[in-house]
Amino acid sequence: MPAALAQLLDHAADRTSAARRWSAAGRAVAGYVGADVPVELLTAAGMLPVRLAGTPGADAALGDRYLGTGVDPVARSVLSTLLEGGYGHLDALIVSSDCEASRRLFYAVRELRRLEPEQALPPAYLVDVLHLPHRTTTGYVLAKVAQLRAWIAELAGQPIRDADLAAAIAAHDRLRGLLSRFSELRRREPARLSGVQALGVVAATTVLPVPRAIELLERLLDEAGRLPVATGDRVFVTGSSHDGPDVYAALERAGLLVVGEDHDWGDLLFHRPVGGTTELALAERYQHNGPTGPRASIRRRAAHTASSAAASRAEILLSYCRVQDPGPPWDFPRQRAEAGLPAVLLERQPYGVVDVDALRLALGEATAQRDIAR
Amino acid sequence: MSTRLAATDAARSHQRQWFADLRAEVARGTPLAVVNADAPQEILRTMGIPYVVNQWWASIVAAKRRTTAHLELLRARGYPDYTEQYSSTALASAFDPDPESAPWGGLPRPSIVLAETTGDSSRKVFDVWEELPGTTFYALESGAACEAPPNWWELMPEHWEEAIGSDRLDLMVGELTGLIRFLEMHTGRAFSESRFREVMSLVNEQAEWNRRSRDLIATTRPCPVDVMANVPGVMLPQWHRGTAWARDAARAFHDEVAERAATGAAVCPDERARLMWVGRGLWFDMGFYQRFQREYGAVFVWSMYLGIAADGYQRYGDDPLRALAARFAAFSDQLYTPPWSSEWYVKEARLHGIDGAVQLVSDDARGSHFTTRALERAGIPVLELHADNVDPRTTDESTLSGAVADWLERRVLPSGHR
Repeated sequence: MPAALAQLLDHAADRTSAARRWSAAGRAVAGYVGADVPVELLTAAGMLPVRLAGTPGADAALGDRYLGTGVDPVARSVLSTLLEGGYGHLDALIVSSDCEASRRLFYAVRELRRLEPEQALPPAYLVDVLHLPHRTTTGYVLAKVAQLRAWIAELAGQPIRDADLAAAIAAHDRLRGLLSRFSELRRREPARLSGVQALGVVAATTVLPVPRAIELLERLLDEAGRLPVATGDRVFVTGSSHDGPDVYAALERAGLLVVGEDHDWGDLLFHRPVGGTTELALAERYQHNGPTGPRASIRRRAAHTASSAAASRAEILLSYCRVQDPGPPWDFPRQRAEAGLPAVLLERQPYGVVDVDALRLALGEATAQRDIAR
Repeated sequence: MSTRLAATDAARSHQRQWFADLRAEVARGTPLAVVNADAPQEILRTMGIPYVVNQWWASIVAAKRRTTAHLELLRARGYPDYTEQYSSTALASAFDPDPESAPWGGLPRPSIVLAETTGDSSRKVFDVWEELPGTTFYALESGAACEAPPNWWELMPEHWEEAIGSDRLDLMVGELTGLIRFLEMHTGRAFSESRFREVMSLVNEQAEWNRRSRDLIATTRPCPVDVMANVPGVMLPQWHRGTAWARDAARAFHDEVAERAATGAAVCPDERARLMWVGRGLWFDMGFYQRFQREYGAVFVWSMYLGIAADGYQRYGDDPLRALAARFAAFSDQLYTPPWSSEWYVKEARLHGIDGAVQLVSDDARGSHFTTRALERAGIPVLELHADNVDPRTTDESTLSGAVADWLERRVLPSGHR
């Protein structure tokens, strides 16, 4: 395995190592929840943005208690880890409205900071990025971006200069561009990356300082010719997001190869650049990013799924829907119709787990449909 | 023991006649809107566009024990039958192969559906509506606050800008402005600013009567009217708010409650425990609320329906559109977002002299912890019942009743609260 890929996957596996080093150097670390947090503002303020991921299978009793079991288990796991100190020292917590579970997580943290100050939770902020494609929404999101900038500046003890913001946006856009080139490695035939590897590399870039992530990705792209061919039935994954490799690993053990996805721990994280240097450009990028399962219309989501699955040269469409993630099952009928691929729906799956028997059965039916169609 | 109020009977009769008239009107070509409960219905009222409230229709279907069959209609089309049951029942009615046998003659097909994009899946229900020929979905966006002053019920009538925040109100005013233009173009009907001011004034008057009714019920011992009577007595006029009929119905309800209070008429003369129902109404089993009166003297004196009608709607100010935005920009926060929700439930419990609270916890993201915790810390025992409010598959009558009976015996009645 190329060294850069190995290093990136190490950071995906140990998501706190870079933050520990950053903190040890006396610099601030900001944990964030959801891809709707404008991380450029944190980078511009000299903070390290670290996206918080849950841990399937770990004890989530605290999250269950405060959020209730009706909330997406990812958020319950994140809250549990946060309360147990599993993310290490965080100087700030920024939560987006990327889904209802994230909002509920923020409200719980806000209440716990009010009612149980002894928990010593970090200062928390909700950045309420919304997504309807209207001018009214742009104005609102712009206000939210400006307020977040002011809040971070107050925390950092100094204003975020326009030049620093422009430089941070340029750096994150550079990273997005590299991730897009990297993503081509598994879209091509034959693919040069497994889905697990692709997911891991993207995840690593959400815990590393941007310059370091850029450096490793550039090296990886330089070494791409040495990547072995990845094999398996090419599947495009829609439905829930995946903040860890477990589900992809199970799918690939079952003979599939994940060649693309439409969630924001994957391709949706980086496919849209900011393309400007201002708060407005930032606001519009985050408003129009997506379309994610929790926030996009069925129509927009199905169109995106169909085009992305085609671009990924997928043979199968798989909608994996996690328990208490209520949006994706509503998307599936139209996604199936528009993608025109053999399609499989797995509903109410436990966090980080695939019902392999149900998967095999559904895959058998889907591929039989495909063979008949041929 | 039940409280039969003339005002409630009159509201029910009015609702029957209104729905029959609405069906006839729609059959003649009048555009119909289906709207979520927390949508700005005042705009439709102002423009004379008839509307049916999505959740009201779901309650009717549930009361007729037809929800399970409706959910099967969704499932047959590949949609989930285990999420958003309350919001998707009306959509399922659109797929009913035998609409003539549906409750109340069936829900006519709307040409407009109106809802916020709040939540991960409720907007998807409306997306499916839009896939039906002749139906357009107008989606409203609503913001969320980073900070929230807990005493919203004191601030809202006059100081809503402070309670909600200008950004959220600016957004909602923009959304409402767009909605008005959309409706003008879609229906050809005009929006009269004068009429709108009348509507807003009537809604505030109605809310004032509801507040007086709530205060009376809160302070009268034994309870003159239980939730079985006050839910329809309040909510049927609520869906007609902005009309003189609704304002007068709220006043009639109040006057009847006042008369019962003055004469000492009681739901349960041997009242031993005053209970609070936190959460949506258990529409498939409304008899549930009276089951504990005879054996335990336990009366459900409070539900959110009158409580929120009393505290959640009043908005005064010189700019009626911004006042309307203030009614809905944070509506669900009032009920479901701590500390707004949790502090309000405690305030209401204390006002009503509540001995115990039963909280219905659905399998969704709204959660229950902070409400239960706030009430318990205020000294009020809480029982959490896990069930969906319209989907009878999620529980059974004996389980719910048994849990309440056990809780009453163990935690409420022996505690000597009263």
